[in-house]
Amino acid sequence: MFLDFVEGPLWYAAAAVFLVGVAWRLAAIARAGLKEDLSVPRTAGAPGAVATVFRRFLPHREFMRPAAFQMVAGYAFHIGLFVLVLFAAPHVEFIEQRILGFGWTPAPHWVFLLAANFAFAGLLLLWLRRMLDPVLRRISTLDDHIGTGLTFVVMFTGCMALFESHDFLRALHMLFVDLLLIYFPFSRLMHAFTFILSRGFTGATMARKGVSA
Amino acid sequence: MGKKSPEAAGRRRRMMYRALALMLAAVLLLPLVPYAVAYVGGITNPNPGADLWRQVRQRETPPEVRTQVRGVDTGVLINARGESWRQFRMEQLIPWSGWFLGGMLVAIALFYLLRGRIRIDKGRSGILVQRFTVNQRLAHWFMAVVFTILGLTGLVLLYGRFVLIPLLGPEGFSVTAAACKEIHNLFGPIFPLAVLLILFYFVRGNGFRGVDFKWLAKGGGLLGGHASAGHFNMGQKLWFWGTLLFGLSLVVSGLILDFPVFGQGRPVMEWAHFSHGIAAVLFIGGAFAHSYIGTLGMEGALEAMTHGTVDANWAKEHHDLWYAQMEAEGKVGAVPGQEAPASSGSPETAGG
Amino acid sequence: MARMKFLCDAERCIECNGCVTACKNEHEVPWGVNRRRVVTINDGEPGERSMSVACMHCSDAPCAAVCPVDCFYTTEDGVVLHDKDICIGCGYCFYACPFGAPQFPTAGAYGSRGAMDKCTFCGGGPEPDGSAEEFKKYGRNRLSEGRLPLCAEMCSTKALLAGDGDKVSDIFRERVTYRGIGTLAWGWGVAYGKGGVRQSSGLGGKASSTKE
Ligand code: HEM
Ligand code: HEM
Ligand code: SF4
Ligand code: SF4
Repeated sequence: MFLDFVEGPLWYAAAAVFLVGVAWRLAAIARAGLKEDLSVPRTAGAPGAVATVFRRFLPHREFMRPAAFQMVAGYAFHIGLFVLVLFAAPHVEFIEQRILGFGWTPAPHWVFLLAANFAFAGLLLLWLRRMLDPVLRRISTLDDHIGTGLTFVVMFTGCMALFESHDFLRALHMLFVDLLLIYFPFSRLMHAFTFILSRGFTGATMARKGVSA
Repeated sequence: MGKKSPEAAGRRRRMMYRALALMLAAVLLLPLVPYAVAYVGGITNPNPGADLWRQVRQRETPPEVRTQVRGVDTGVLINARGESWRQFRMEQLIPWSGWFLGGMLVAIALFYLLRGRIRIDKGRSGILVQRFTVNQRLAHWFMAVVFTILGLTGLVLLYGRFVLIPLLGPEGFSVTAAACKEIHNLFGPIFPLAVLLILFYFVRGNGFRGVDFKWLAKGGGLLGGHASAGHFNMGQKLWFWGTLLFGLSLVVSGLILDFPVFGQGRPVMEWAHFSHGIAAVLFIGGAFAHSYIGTLGMEGALEAMTHGTVDANWAKEHHDLWYAQMEAEGKVGAVPGQEAPASSGSPETAGG
Repeated sequence: MARMKFLCDAERCIECNGCVTACKNEHEVPWGVNRRRVVTINDGEPGERSMSVACMHCSDAPCAAVCPVDCFYTTEDGVVLHDKDICIGCGYCFYACPFGAPQFPTAGAYGSRGAMDKCTFCGGGPEPDGSAEEFKKYGRNRLSEGRLPLCAEMCSTKALLAGDGDKVSDIFRERVTYRGIGTLAWGWGVAYGKGGVRQSSGLGGKASSTKE
């Protein structure tokens, strides 16, 4: 019953909110348009935009050391999450049966769980740092904590359901997935999509001014 | 006498026949004698199996065994250690640890009733001293969160059958236990990282020195008065080294239990469980006391781990030598980029 | 009520693995799981003996004592069964069992084992007797059809005996009396308490009891 609900009506509703919400937010950003750039163009903006999207995957050399923690913990979390969301056997199965109609080879069980280890360690460290570092604490809002907390709970309940023998645990996991999807478009979790836009914008502006940024 | 009588010749022939028949009968019957005797119950046959059975029990060396079935320990006929493991877990670990942890809680409650909250005698001065860096606090709370998750899920597996089945019913507890088992098994491998971080960020200042033994002799000022101490007092140093020691033994034994993929047999698993169970229970008991004194038990202690600063008067009273050193280095009151903690207790912390 | 027991006569077992095969086929046990196995000691040397081993359905079952979720139960016939819906696959029963009977479909990293599987004395599980669901989890329920375990029925030398403990020990005692050796019902002392076959059937003699 509970499972049917969270994997049925609630899942459809959540997926709809997610898709429509993300599309709406992206459209809103596109419609806002860009202020006309009156600076003298020194080089083309587009290549700079593309280059910056990729170059920003690593901090500047000067910031490498101060940002080392964020980088290590951040990558542990994001790569772990990526592997675990897209390559865990139960997820591939869900994607195949409920979303795309096709699937791919899932990662072995131990790879899935190793990825989860990295994701958990990274997320916990990042979250705790957000609470402990005086500067980070000041610039964090409730949204950051809700977003991080929801992600943590989704991962935690997923891990509770690993034995795959009790529908209740699976449903609990699914419930939080649905909540996360609904919350996603209205929060900073949107950075999963918008980071490309913001980096691209910076890259284009700077390239046009002839600055390598 | 040359001539034989036909009479005598006939007798001889008859005797010969009789002898032959007898011999034949003997040849046929003799091998049956042991059976006959055994049937009557006279002879004790050496039991060819006797040595074998002793081997099967594996009292001495394991015998040469072979089986077509592949897998861990399939060649072992009788695992004699299983029984002692059962005894250990059911009759020692579970009841004794129950008494120990329960006793710990009672002792802490009694201590609170008798001694009350340890106050800052001179009150707050409003002057702050930096005690722990962000990285130190991060390492600490990371450890505290991972430890609490592992400890709680482990205790559910240990006591759930007796405590939770009556409350949740068998199905309900099965759901709980399955979840706890998976969480415990997944978070286990994160624990070594927490131990390493604690080692890295706290080893400085945790070496034993002369004052520490005086501190011990004075009972750490737990019962009244104050004992002299540096950055860390003896109690804290013992907790630090205990964290490493118990942490290490939990990591080693836990990983052996968590990864039964290297063909380790039951003796190894049972041994790992012995040390895992004992270390976990002692560690959890220590954590009770540590968490108590870090929060309710002592005014002005928790903010050291949340905001990283302590009040100068707290430092003078509890870590006089450290305070003197900080003062000499001109570090009292110099707290870069820090707001003062709002009041005594401190709000949002991550530990549980 | 009968008290069901297994007995393997090591003087007769010829290591043909017929019981193992019969069991696998009858119950369609999961891959990687063998509810029964034959173990040979001193293979190829004088004094070689083989024994067929599975769950012995102990009187004071160690598996049931240590199970953290308490999912074992003993039937009126003395058969030790468990509930796979409750089992959490922790492996503790395997550590405690003297005979290594509990098996797991997988034995992977992070302690992933799957629900435990073991010999049911062809007695199924908690689901309705003979139901498809019961078959899927525990295999055939022959006891409810009035039949005894297939492994023993298939045994070509009748080394493996299964059934009411008194009858089994009667048969065995008769054999021992005739041949004069091998009075040891191995594993009985461990599984069914001190004394083993001697106690339950009044056998005297030279055999060492399995339990000192
Ligand atoms: C490296 C870290 C650790 C690993 C890999 C680990 C792994 C395990 C494993 C595999 C089990 C067997 C339970 C099962 O399979 O479901 C277990 C049991 C247990 N663990 Fe840990 N563990 C770790 C750390 C800890 C810590 C830090 C604690 C305590 C604070 C703890 C407390 C317990 C307890 C109480 C049990 C239950 C024992 C029983 O039920 O008999 N473990 N652990
Ligand atoms: C969960 C509740 C916990 C609370 C409220 C807590 C609180 C504190 C506080 C306030 C301090 C600073 C003491 C000072 O000012 O010198 C501290 C230090 C420390 N804590 Fe915790 N803690 C908790 C759990 C843990 C756990 C589970 C561990 C390890 C397994 C741990 C390991 C340490 C260590 C190594 C120190 C360094 C100083 C010392 O040795 O005492 N803590 N804790
Ligand atoms: S043989 Fe093992 S699994 Fe069977 S009842 Fe005895 S202890 Fe339990
Ligand atoms: S594996 Fe299952 S049956 Fe065995 S002790 Fe664990 S929960 Fe009980």
